[in-house]
Amino acid sequence: MLDTVKNISRSILRERQADGVLGLTRQKSTTLEEGMDIIQPHVFADPGELDDLVIEPKWLFAKLAMTILRSSPESYRLAVICRGCDERAVIELIKRNQIEKDRIATVGIACSQEQASVCLCQRPYPEKLDAGVAAEGVDPFQDGQIRELLMGDDGTRMEKWAKLLKRCIKCYGCRNSCPICVCIPCKLEDEVWVDTGSIPAGMIPYHLIRAFHLSDTCVACGACQEACPVHIPLLALQLSMREILRKNFGYEAGIDPERKSPVLFDFSQEPSPERELPAWIDSLKAKI
Amino acid sequence: MNDDFVRTICPYCGTGCGLIMKVRNGKVVGTYPDREHPVSHGTLCIKGWCAHEFIHHPDRLTSPLIRKGDSFEEISWEEAIALAAGRLTEIARIHGGDAIGGLCSAKCTNEENYLFQKLIRMAFKTNNVDHCARLCHAPTAAGLARTTGSGAMTNSISDLAGAECILIIGSNAAESHPVIMGEIYRAADRGATVIVIDPRETAVAQNAHLHLRINPGTDIPLLSGMMRHIVDTGLLNTRFIEERTEGFPELKTYLESWPVEKVAAECGIEGTLIKKVAEIYAKAKDAAIVYCMGITQHACGTANVFAISNLALLCGHVGKEFSGIYPLRGQNNVQGSCDVGGLPNVYPGYQSVSDPKVQDKFQQAWGRELSAKPGLTVTEMIGAAGKNIRAMYIMAENPAISDPDVNHALESLGKLDFLIVQDIFLTETARFAHLILPATCFAEKTGTYTNTERRFQLLRKVIDPPGQAKGDFEILCLLANALGLNFPYTHPGEVMEEIALLVPAYGGIRFDRLERAGLQWPCPDVHHPGTRFLHKDRFTRGRGLFIIPEYTPPCERPDEDYPFYLGTGRMFAHYHTGTMTRRSPFLNREQEEPYAEIHPDDASRMAVKDGDRIRITTRRGSIVTAARVSSKVSRGCIFAPFHFTEARANILTNPVLDPISKIPEFKVCAAKMEKVTNEGEGR
Repeated sequence: MLDTVKNISRSILRERQADGVLGLTRQKSTTLEEGMDIIQPHVFADPGELDDLVIEPKWLFAKLAMTILRSSPESYRLAVICRGCDERAVIELIKRNQIEKDRIATVGIACSQEQASVCLCQRPYPEKLDAGVAAEGVDPFQDGQIRELLMGDDGTRMEKWAKLLKRCIKCYGCRNSCPICVCIPCKLEDEVWVDTGSIPAGMIPYHLIRAFHLSDTCVACGACQEACPVHIPLLALQLSMREILRKNFGYEAGIDPERKSPVLFDFSQEPSPERELPAWIDSLKAKI
Repeated sequence: MNDDFVRTICPYCGTGCGLIMKVRNGKVVGTYPDREHPVSHGTLCIKGWCAHEFIHHPDRLTSPLIRKGDSFEEISWEEAIALAAGRLTEIARIHGGDAIGGLCSAKCTNEENYLFQKLIRMAFKTNNVDHCARLCHAPTAAGLARTTGSGAMTNSISDLAGAECILIIGSNAAESHPVIMGEIYRAADRGATVIVIDPRETAVAQNAHLHLRINPGTDIPLLSGMMRHIVDTGLLNTRFIEERTEGFPELKTYLESWPVEKVAAECGIEGTLIKKVAEIYAKAKDAAIVYCMGITQHACGTANVFAISNLALLCGHVGKEFSGIYPLRGQNNVQGSCDVGGLPNVYPGYQSVSDPKVQDKFQQAWGRELSAKPGLTVTEMIGAAGKNIRAMYIMAENPAISDPDVNHALESLGKLDFLIVQDIFLTETARFAHLILPATCFAEKTGTYTNTERRFQLLRKVIDPPGQAKGDFEILCLLANALGLNFPYTHPGEVMEEIALLVPAYGGIRFDRLERAGLQWPCPDVHHPGTRFLHKDRFTRGRGLFIIPEYTPPCERPDEDYPFYLGTGRMFAHYHTGTMTRRSPFLNREQEEPYAEIHPDDASRMAVKDGDRIRITTRRGSIVTAARVSSKVSRGCIFAPFHFTEARANILTNPVLDPISKIPEFKVCAAKMEKVTNEGEGR
């Protein structure tokens, strides 16, 4: 599988389909000791470098790819080694005009069954699968911890979540690591919503705004949760919203590049004539 | 130019998280968490995420500067080094080597600190070298060294997640060491009991199972009361005490003076709670004690550490995995700067300067006659500035904000005949300098940092320094050679090899062994895998020693004139003297202005609303700041973060020192406050 990824990447560079391939590199340690190699992200520009390419551990590149493309000349094209969730993130970023479709290519890799279980991933493979065998999806709602978090009456759940979210140290890691949390300016940096100067960040103004902002774009990659130093199970918040969209609209973010979010379109096609949006919504001065 | 990513280490706290810095066209444009890092595992706090923000700040120093009247003028490096060497030599010739003082830095690498203390000790035959460790964990180094033989965290950060009980005393890890807090939550999620002892209702306390809100400075009564109860109920680990420790009978007698009822009165909490907490800690299979400045920054700081050590020894919660004593070190390399000899009484590896054998060893290794007289500490040097101390060389330290009774410290700094400040910004301290040397920040150099769990980690050069700024390593070599010493080093790795030769515990540390995950000392040879926890089977000093923790109440307690308790500390978005965080836009946005927390009842009595200006005054001086009305502080208490130059909390603090470790009592003094009604009055 790794060799396939390397071969595809080499031909991408040789045939100038892209100017760089974004993935992980392993730099061999200079000592003879085992396990001393360094693994980190890298933009491979030379086919010769690709001997050092690795695909483990799980590392997400969609947002990095976006920042690289933004700061590069318009002619620069990038290929990205993508797991299922990362491919979905790339597609969402294209749909939201954050990445130009013609400047990005993906090399799709399948996750192992083990990885799928760790991530509770429903689709541990990209739609465009170039290497590896697709593992079976996992139903997150069968997971004990997720059930524990999502079950019970309103009061019980509120208590549970309030206790967890009280831990928040306001690192902004969930926002920073989320591949599709890209708004400028960010509502979480607006003092109207989120107080400055103290922790924890408020449950409703910070965490619920963030969760709802992502309700129809979350690709369930788990980056938010993995970046949380205090182990708040943030993915559980998103999973239930994803499930509602799937059940009610047959919609899943990041699968079909052509399909627009039902939250933006299906609702607006049937507007309620009596209802007007409150005037204050657009009046908040956004700080840049 | 292509994007590049460089793995390195965070420059803020002692946790030592892994960063991946994104570089483009010679500029660092982003910071990402390192998913492969052995401590942080792909997580960071707000400061870590913003670590790149100050690097390219326009305020960076880019040329050596010389004082001309009230301003500074650029000079060349040749002139600067010649001037520095010339003036220092001249002053040492006239007043003696002991008239020179040096402050090395917990922000700099092990190699730089090693070279710094070597330079001061060799060139001037003095041991006047110290740094801000004096102001944070000096009592830990002194206290744990006496009780266990090693003044460092006994276990590893990851061990916390396996503890059954975690006792957190005087640490607001959620704001000051957030990634370590994550390990504590991991333990809580597995069923551990988290108990917090703190006068403030910190974020840590708000998330704990139990919070003992004791009166400021009453840690020794509390810990003694707990121990007394453990002894009375037979919950002590008799076998461990017999086989592994000494001094227990004396402690037992001492504990008789602390019946729980007396403790409860002194600490201002319920006796039943003290008993309950003692039982939880003693009965746990593995229990950890995490502590920080709330323990150390007292005039009885070292005795506080003795008390903690006693409690752990009493229950046998040390020398095994998932338990132990966890002093959380403040600065990124404060562990390392102490380890490599940035202290006035010891050479690298805590080898005493007054031990003739040790002196001999270093004289031979360095080829110079060295002083056997312990040098002055930070506060002593600054106190003696303009008197016994005529010249100082300060590398990346900012005592003008961080020292206690800072107005007095500033006055002293101004009396020096010659002051060299080597830093990345024109700090409040640099404003007093005669010569300023522009140095490099963490992203511009190679070297090692040692985190709070004794882990040597590799800091990698990400970009070139701005303008003519030079690495501290290079500056030290230039200056040493100009002073007639021979510093032939071309790479920090060579310095590490020299350290490894002189300090047995670091004998196996080599740069190429640190590339992936670093190594935890002791690591005596190049095949040694490093040490996850200390004191297994045998304490470093042989037997663990119980030492009686003599209780001295805070030197100042509220009285009629100064009716409030005042304590200082950190808040989550800023770091220490603010030179880096206040120049990081995202962090500064979080907290732009100084403030002090006051209790709602005190506020309403004075008709102060949240955000009102208040003046806080102590016997040292006064500051005007904004009131933050919050029940995080107890009634009658004030908490002031010390990051803000425009309202320096350290103008207020009491410079009284712990007799053993010489740490000032930052955490408690008596204060009064009043509402400032017109802004002019406040200035």
